[in-house]
Amino acid sequence: MFSRRDFLKQGLLPVFAGSAVPSVFANGVAAAAADSPNATPSDRVLVLVQLAGGNDGLNTVIPFQDGAYHDARPTLRQDQGVLQLNAQLGLHPSLKGLKASWDAGQLAIVQGVGYPNPNLSHFASMSIWETASVQGGIGDGWLGRYLNYLDQVGETPNHALEGVSAGSLVPPELRSKTPVTALQSLKTFRLQPVNEHGTMVDVENPLMKFYGAFKNAGPAPFGALFDTTLQEALQASHALQATDASYQAKATYPANSPIASSLKLVAETIVSGLGVRVAHVTLGGFDNHSREKPVHDKLLLDLDQALAAFLQDLQGHGLSDRVLVMTWSEFGRRVKENGSAGTDHGTAAPMFLLGAPVKGGLYGQQPSLTDLDNGNLKFGTDFRTVYASVLQNYLKAPASELLGGNYELLPLLKA
Amino acid sequence: MADAPMTTSPAPTNRPIWQRSVSRRAVLATGATGAAAAALAVLWKGNDLSQILNHVRDLTHGYQGALASERVRVAHLLRRAGFGATRAELDHYVSMGQSAATEALLNYSKTSNSALEGQLPTIDLAGPTQPAATAIQGWWLQRMVGTARPLEEKMTLFWHGLLTSGLDKAGAAQLFTQNQLYRSMALGNFDALLKAVSKDPAMMVYLDTETNRKGKPNENYARELMELFTTGIGHYTEDDVRESARSFTGWTLQGGKQLRYATASQFVPRLHDAGLKTFMGKTGSFTGDDIVEMLVPLRATAVRLSTKLFSYFAYPNPEPDVVNHLADTFQKSRYNVGAVVREIFTMDAFYSDKAYRALVKTPAELVAQTLKATGANARGYTAAAAAMAPMGQVLFYPPNVAGWPGGNSWINSSTLLTRINFANAAAQRAGATLSSQTLAQLSETLVDANVSPATKDGLQAFVTAHPDDQAGLLFMVLATPEFQLN
Repeated sequence: MFSRRDFLKQGLLPVFAGSAVPSVFANGVAAAAADSPNATPSDRVLVLVQLAGGNDGLNTVIPFQDGAYHDARPTLRQDQGVLQLNAQLGLHPSLKGLKASWDAGQLAIVQGVGYPNPNLSHFASMSIWETASVQGGIGDGWLGRYLNYLDQVGETPNHALEGVSAGSLVPPELRSKTPVTALQSLKTFRLQPVNEHGTMVDVENPLMKFYGAFKNAGPAPFGALFDTTLQEALQASHALQATDASYQAKATYPANSPIASSLKLVAETIVSGLGVRVAHVTLGGFDNHSREKPVHDKLLLDLDQALAAFLQDLQGHGLSDRVLVMTWSEFGRRVKENGSAGTDHGTAAPMFLLGAPVKGGLYGQQPSLTDLDNGNLKFGTDFRTVYASVLQNYLKAPASELLGGNYELLPLLKA
Repeated sequence: MADAPMTTSPAPTNRPIWQRSVSRRAVLATGATGAAAAALAVLWKGNDLSQILNHVRDLTHGYQGALASERVRVAHLLRRAGFGATRAELDHYVSMGQSAATEALLNYSKTSNSALEGQLPTIDLAGPTQPAATAIQGWWLQRMVGTARPLEEKMTLFWHGLLTSGLDKAGAAQLFTQNQLYRSMALGNFDALLKAVSKDPAMMVYLDTETNRKGKPNENYARELMELFTTGIGHYTEDDVRESARSFTGWTLQGGKQLRYATASQFVPRLHDAGLKTFMGKTGSFTGDDIVEMLVPLRATAVRLSTKLFSYFAYPNPEPDVVNHLADTFQKSRYNVGAVVREIFTMDAFYSDKAYRALVKTPAELVAQTLKATGANARGYTAAAAAMAPMGQVLFYPPNVAGWPGGNSWINSSTLLTRINFANAAAQRAGATLSSQTLAQLSETLVDANVSPATKDGLQAFVTAHPDDQAGLLFMVLATPEFQLN
């Protein structure tokens, strides 16, 4: 086993000046093959979908028979077209794809998910969910710890594409010393050569030297950060160039939908056999303090259509059994709507687990809409119970160690 | 976690910390090891270096003493108080001397900006449609690059990142109007600024005060005003949020325009809840202005704003002594932001080894400094503003109400490749229009002629191998790790 620096050195052309691009990438191909991200095709993938801003759980999984719901939501209640799950509960009318998954036994809904002493700050509560610690803070993310665990047990090569996020930032859930790659496009993820009068001049080698020297010369944390990041970027870039670029989506993803583009990128990464184990995508815009209905209806529609395409795409590639999708949001919203036809910050809300690995059905208890805490729902299921179930039963990782505590395991997943 | 305060110094001195040079070595000697141990204690895994690195500053970088040169100090000041400098700008400020340069930057109202104003595209707010987002983004980037008042633009960006509003909810005309508000009050009184922001249409749409009515309070602005704009979390209760929301009722957008078009607001008494409210232990028939007047004098507000300003201009996680001194300055000056900023730029800590290259260039800084080096036309500004998106920063479109997380989060494998590729494309695009500059000149303007030996050798090797490739050479300098820092 050689270090990533060795790997990169071997993966790069030794010449600085005058080397043409294609040969650089040809070498990248050889190096990436040595790293063998394709060697573990049966690995399971968790795709985390963050609904940022605080999704209105009551208007997502709707207690349409509850008089208290109608009283609390005079303008926001969904009267028409609720997609019935049972005699009491139904999905928001936008969620037709999720309903189809439900009918196929591939949607688990965990109701009333939250944590003790709920924090109504977006950022404090996000941090709690991201670190799986009610203290929140800047520690490693719960999935960063999982990726780190994989490295420790030697189950995966320590390569930068085992954790990926769609977008320009690495989300805190994936934070740890294990490298994670923010992906915006597989095609542009490379260092462009310098075009000197039509001759393409490789810059990887000189820049590797600059950044390698900076590791010691530069001010920490930046010296190490820049050097490591460039190594990871080039490693990931070479692996990406090495893949068969023949990915063809086996579903029609909605146009002009950022969440659909993100999920398509994740699908491409999975299908291309890059060794991804955890992927993160974000759909923002759920902080609907005013005029919630049209905005929320559209967000859920975008989410549903993107997820439906994603699942269809994976199925078309024969990968359904390997991929679990889980949604989360930092909190639900106040039971009673405010005067702006919106809702203020709340607490407990449902989570979705979606895909072939799921044992479909309802889990946990639907919270009471009348026995409230300061106008907010009382949670029934700790979110770490859901995390633990996924870690232990799906990812086969030691949940209590990774979460720093023992949590009940819900039978959400097939063996 | 803040660095440990310096209670002792290897060189005995009676000067308070903010007038003392802080060397990384001295910090190491006097307590950063304790800080490292404390950081370790809260880690998930005890040996997780990545977490320590986020919180304990380096103490031994290879650029000790760089700020001994006045030219480098002025370049450092221009990077922090502005968006870097062209060679001519640097020469201009260096010829004034550090002290006069600092005064000129702070007292910018005396500097005419008419040359820039004459070049800027017109942004039409009166037309039937919104200005394009790309138009106001390019307009602002052009200001950053071309302004004769760099601190004015830098503070405008500071307020945009702190008192956030975004195009995801508000209209371009509203964001443009808010931007002008921040520019006009950039170094003014914080109480007056918060009162103005509370009635600013972009903010009213972004955080929903425009729907906040008597009997129908909306908590969004009230919460973020405390959590993000003033005291920070932990200094108020959920009841304070609710009572503050009632106090802010009554302000609405003016005119019959659509929600996202109105650029003026008005107070409508019948929509205001004039009843008694109890806020932070006080009871009265408060208005929104009353709430601002209760929040601004709080020590937590002074500490938080001082920390934000120092971290923006000097280095992150300032020592408690530094923060307390700035918070005192803020309170004694009756909440004058300019007084705090002046104090920062005259502190020894600002010119300490610890401050040198202690910040990652934000995408705005990176792109603006690059355009200063390459030149740009009107279309170039809008294109460059758009190119900031994959670096993680879109002007007028912060990721959420907390603004850009900044610091190390600017750098990951994707953004680093994007930053380097941007430099390449910008240098290529300028191509033949670039003025002929030697490696020494480029290096001095862009990286203080101060790079690691390996980088120096590599740049020289590039010149030797490609003697006539001005664009390639500029790119190589822009791609150095040293240039990525500010």
